[in-house]
Amino acid sequence: MGGERSRDHRDIAKGDSVDLETIPQQARERIEKISKADLLVGVLADHANDAPAMVRQALAGFNETPRTVVFQGDHVAASPNGADAGSVDSGAAQEEGVFVVPWTLLSPDASVSPVQSMANAYQFILAAGDKLGVQACCIVGSDLQTVTSEWISRLVQPILQGGFDLVTPCYAHGKFEGLLNSSLISPLNRALYGTRLQNPLGPDLSMSRSMFQRMLGAEQGNKPAGSQTRTLASLAPTAICGGFKICQAYLGPRTFPPTDWTNLSSLLVQVLGPIFLDVERNATCWQRARPPVSPPIVGERMMMAEDKGAVDVRRMLELFQLGARDLPEIWGLVLPPTSLIELRKLSRLQPDQFRMPDDLWVHIVYDFALGYRLRTISRDHLLRAMTPLYLGWVASHSLEMENAPARAVEQRLERLCHVFEANRSYLVSRWRWPDRFNP
Amino acid sequence: MWDQARQALTASMNKLLSETASLLPGVVALIVALLISALIAWVLVAALRRSLAGIHFDERVNRWGFTSLSEWSPSNSPTLLVARFVFWLIIFFGFLVGIASFDATLTSQLVHSMFAYVPNVLGAVVVLLAGNVIARFLARSVLIGAVNMNLQYARLLAVGVKWLVIVLAVTMALEHLKIGGGIVNLAFGILFGGIVFALALAVGLGSKELVSRSLEREASKTSGNGVEEPFRHL
Repeated sequence: MGGERSRDHRDIAKGDSVDLETIPQQARERIEKISKADLLVGVLADHANDAPAMVRQALAGFNETPRTVVFQGDHVAASPNGADAGSVDSGAAQEEGVFVVPWTLLSPDASVSPVQSMANAYQFILAAGDKLGVQACCIVGSDLQTVTSEWISRLVQPILQGGFDLVTPCYAHGKFEGLLNSSLISPLNRALYGTRLQNPLGPDLSMSRSMFQRMLGAEQGNKPAGSQTRTLASLAPTAICGGFKICQAYLGPRTFPPTDWTNLSSLLVQVLGPIFLDVERNATCWQRARPPVSPPIVGERMMMAEDKGAVDVRRMLELFQLGARDLPEIWGLVLPPTSLIELRKLSRLQPDQFRMPDDLWVHIVYDFALGYRLRTISRDHLLRAMTPLYLGWVASHSLEMENAPARAVEQRLERLCHVFEANRSYLVSRWRWPDRFNP
Repeated sequence: MWDQARQALTASMNKLLSETASLLPGVVALIVALLISALIAWVLVAALRRSLAGIHFDERVNRWGFTSLSEWSPSNSPTLLVARFVFWLIIFFGFLVGIASFDATLTSQLVHSMFAYVPNVLGAVVVLLAGNVIARFLARSVLIGAVNMNLQYARLLAVGVKWLVIVLAVTMALEHLKIGGGIVNLAFGILFGGIVFALALAVGLGSKELVSRSLEREASKTSGNGVEEPFRHL
């Protein structure tokens, strides 16, 4: 069965579509047996023994408990909780209206990258939710160490009771956590689509039936689910451009996975590739000017965690300087000469003076998004060549915020978002006239 | 006797003059053919240059990755290179037409042998172009990968890979053109082997430090002395 599951995950990794036939036999039988539900909660993390109990607790506040299906790692079937709840026929499970389907959502296959594996898991959950006819799909992608029943409650309630279509998370992360999101994903999304989402990529989120059907590409016409499945990167843009109701939920601190320095450039390729691709696909949507919107937020706001102690950015600075020495001819295919000159100057600065100006970073991001669209060089090369630049920003931000309190870091990131918004016209001009407009 | 000598001399003079006179129409035809072909070439090249400039051919060539074409081109302009190539090609055809006015069989033999060689030339050109594209792609991959691995000799590695592929492509092209034969194979073997050996030495000596550093990192991780980095990207 493990081999069969690995093959399924690889198949999904190659193509974008999800077919229910690719769901493991045991899980599929259980889904067919349950037949109908109101809510689906997919827990991606392993060792999710507490997940069913957490879901029950989260649903306790509802006047009428929705019929709920929980997907969790299949090893828990042998555990005391899992053994009881694992069976659809179990009296306890039916009584509380919560059915557990043991199913390892994340691929155990080492050849599938973690990002791709997570994207596949989302698609499996959405496809299964469609099959079950649920009203809401909630996906818990974070490590369960910090996940509480309140997380699930805050993610689910706005959908089932508030009439929202998409709930994205707000975390109380540390100063140097979620850096790719803070530096690029969130500000870019906000500048382009005008909706201030702290974490447009989740990973903990929930969506309504109409939203996940749009994601599965099955909303219009009678197309089968999976015929036009969208990636996770297109979740927020799809919701914004499609006019869906969005809100955010304060979830508190989250455990971020540690950095794998050897695969950082692969991570950038896997994360930024779909984002830039989506920028290209949604060009007509984001080029329409719209006023900035702050979606409503549920839950109690928590400040960033106060990290203390010096940070060591030597490795990042070394890599940035090496990139500035050896990669200008590749960067020059994408970046205008002014940016290259600024980068050269920056690479000569001493570590204590090293600060990457926001304008420069924003122009770099916009120029790379444009380079991705124009296919100036291989897209894989382009995104990998961005790694030293990204690390340059991380080093600059870390040095600047090393001793700053959490509040100051939040304000600093907000300023960066404003610069992204202020330079939106730069991207629009370059997008429309890539050959003519070259400052 | 003098009469006979005078007659022989007159006959040879007549023969030389008549043969020279018989060549003159051919020479005139050659000159006319060259002049007409030059005129056609000039008009065509002017139109070609204008249309290539209109589609920003130089920029496109750079964007397609043939940056070296600009380096080899006169005035760093691939448009000029293409225009000059077309110009001399038309002149060459005009020359062949002119030569045919002297002796049609000679020209047909020349043209026949030339056309028999054309597939080899085309094959060699394709091999060279493909080699150039592959060399650039691989060199770029190696350069970016090595920089992201923080290897100080990233550029050296990339240049090594690029020349390795280019040398291979040039040798294959020469093989297609049937130039050099054994000498080219021998030279290629020596050169290719030399580059591989040099790269192996460079990487081997350079990676000593890399391996020791990674071992140190592993040791510090296992001993628990290493300070955990606060950076989390996603």
